[in-house]
Amino acid sequence: MENEKLDRDIRATIKKNWRLFKQSRLGMTGLGIVVFFGFLSILQPMLFLTGIWDEGIYHPVVGYDAEKVDRTIVECPKQYPTKEYQQEGDCPRVDEVNIRYLKAFNIEGEVGEIYESNLQPAPPSSRHILGTDSLGRDIFSQIMEGSQVAFVLGLISAIIGVGISTLLGTAAAFYGGVLDTYLMRQSDLVLMLPTLPFLFIISAFAELQIWHLAVVLGTIGGLGGSVITVKSQALQVKVKPFVDSARITGGSKRRIMFAHILPNVAPLALLFMVFSVTGAIASESVLSFLGLLNIDMSWGIMIYLAQAEGFIFTGLKYWWLILPAGLSVTLLAGGFYLVGRGLDDVFNPRLRRR
Amino acid sequence: MLIYTVKRFFEMIIVFFLFLIISYLLFNAIPGNAFSSLLLNPLLPPETYQRTIELFGLDKPLFERVQLYIINFFKGDFGYSYIYYPRSPIEVIAERLPRTLMLFSIVNVIAFYSGFLVGKVLAWRRGSKSETWITIGSVFSYTVFYPWFALMMLWFFGYKMNWFPLGKFLVPEKWYDSPYSSDEIFYTLILFTTIGSFLLFLVFIFTRNIESLENRRNARIVGLLFLLVLASIYWSNGEASLKRFYAADIAFHMILPTFTVTLVAFAGTALLTRTTMMEVLKDDYILTARAKGLSQKRIRDRHAARTALLPVVTSFIFTIITIIDGSVLTESIFSWPGMGQLILEAVTREDIPLAMASFSFIGILALIAHFIADVSYAFLDPRIRVKADT
Repeated sequence: MENEKLDRDIRATIKKNWRLFKQSRLGMTGLGIVVFFGFLSILQPMLFLTGIWDEGIYHPVVGYDAEKVDRTIVECPKQYPTKEYQQEGDCPRVDEVNIRYLKAFNIEGEVGEIYESNLQPAPPSSRHILGTDSLGRDIFSQIMEGSQVAFVLGLISAIIGVGISTLLGTAAAFYGGVLDTYLMRQSDLVLMLPTLPFLFIISAFAELQIWHLAVVLGTIGGLGGSVITVKSQALQVKVKPFVDSARITGGSKRRIMFAHILPNVAPLALLFMVFSVTGAIASESVLSFLGLLNIDMSWGIMIYLAQAEGFIFTGLKYWWLILPAGLSVTLLAGGFYLVGRGLDDVFNPRLRRR
Repeated sequence: MLIYTVKRFFEMIIVFFLFLIISYLLFNAIPGNAFSSLLLNPLLPPETYQRTIELFGLDKPLFERVQLYIINFFKGDFGYSYIYYPRSPIEVIAERLPRTLMLFSIVNVIAFYSGFLVGKVLAWRRGSKSETWITIGSVFSYTVFYPWFALMMLWFFGYKMNWFPLGKFLVPEKWYDSPYSSDEIFYTLILFTTIGSFLLFLVFIFTRNIESLENRRNARIVGLLFLLVLASIYWSNGEASLKRFYAADIAFHMILPTFTVTLVAFAGTALLTRTTMMEVLKDDYILTARAKGLSQKRIRDRHAARTALLPVVTSFIFTIITIIDGSVLTESIFSWPGMGQLILEAVTREDIPLAMASFSFIGILALIAHFIADVSYAFLDPRIRVKADT
């Protein structure tokens, strides 16, 4: 009987909060972005399982597909300008190939013949929606793989971090004394730790997998500044009348902490969780951008490859190598941030418009 | 207040010792040691390896080694850097640290000031179309994947438009017959910027109490012009006129990194100011001010923004620590030879003495920033101040 009532209460609260959340336009935009990337990350295994995509072609790491183009073999003149070519850079044209290159690789061919060559990186086509990279791998499939990595990492690290910080923060506020002092100094220490150099050092002696990184990031995030914030929130809850009445009616310390204080700190913790996902995604991308992670494919690695192979400075000519990965990181991190803003509006009544 | 500061100071010292011990243990956990490669040489008898280990004290128990490390840290003895062999890590850091500090303090001041202005206006115009678009823009620059953004900026302004140099600290060709070393010039530049910004700060402090907003703005513009004239007099006379050419080269290389980091860094302040301003605007005294018939601008700048400043300032001081993180990326993308690039280089090339020294120095920097943040927070927030005194 009582359980049913509790259920109804919770459902009503969720409904009310959802209504409030829907009012914030930025929050809904963020939710849309997150759902979109979530859909992308589920879509890829589905495509492989149903056989619509062949793993040999579309696999993000070992797939290969060559796009064939026909090029006319020409011999570039020694002096410019000639009738056909104005400058030295004009020969060979896009649909032509210089015979000297063919000779250098011992390929047979005469001037005027058609030579079939592989085009890599290939521009977007109906086969590859976002084209292929310089190794003939499908970019769209890589983006999907990257969003799986981002979700796994972001959610694991956020859950670990929030779990730690909520427990420790509430305990610090509730028990006070030596525990409080110790926890606060500990978070001073963690806050002081420069995160990126610290991760560099860890990556120097450990082969970092995704979940290692998630645990490390979650622990650092959970022990750091969020403990202080959760503690200050819990301190505000602790002095409320219902905690006193729980104590007077004989509630044990542990029960008061878990049944009365924790639920009131939970919204703040949820907010933290959403914001820390943003940080975790950015950290992963930065580390793999610097080539310090032991991951096959992620958005950071895509940008790292584009930069290492020198496509960044070709500008927009090879836009499919540069824009999708960078924009995906930005959009997903931004999406989580906007969801956090929307939740902030819900849980912080002072921010509401009415 | 004094008691609070002293108490925090002692706590900070304890935290610092813990930090030193942890950083030693961290490096100690790296498999192998600096001389493991000697074992690979078949011509070398095993005793030689043993002797080398003993010579460098690596066979001592862990506790003793930690003790030695801490003692040597306060002696300033970090051994020798492997990459920059004859130089000690302290010398390398002494060369690199000012460059990072200079670049990022300029960025911070600009980013904080512009972010606060933007956030103030955003909160004030809540619900308008421009507010939505500027907020989306700031969210974009707050969450943008920084290395990618920096590379795009470098491509657009450095390569496509060719307005700015592609990274680096200076153009070596210009410095072949230079009578000064680049460090000398850079110290002059630092001194100039510090004094300049101090004078600018004084102008702002002195004009703060001018009642009319319009007069205050005019007074500030006059002060700024006066400072500019002073600066041009300084650079066109005496020894400074000889250094001018070289200083301009370094300053020119600083523009693009400064601009890029500012674009990214200002958004955080702007978004935070927006939130705190919105909270403040709900307060009763804003309604009172409106009822008194004060002008809109006055309510915004004098009543709301002053109150909203407090959390923004404290969070700003806390972000000084994250600057060190950002510096690694900025410096490796713009090839700016500072602390961030140094620590990345030291870690990837396994130069352990240099890596340890720079890691500890970054820790000290973070510690000082943290201490200032705590004390200034207590100073700015009367609730903590009162609690600490009693």
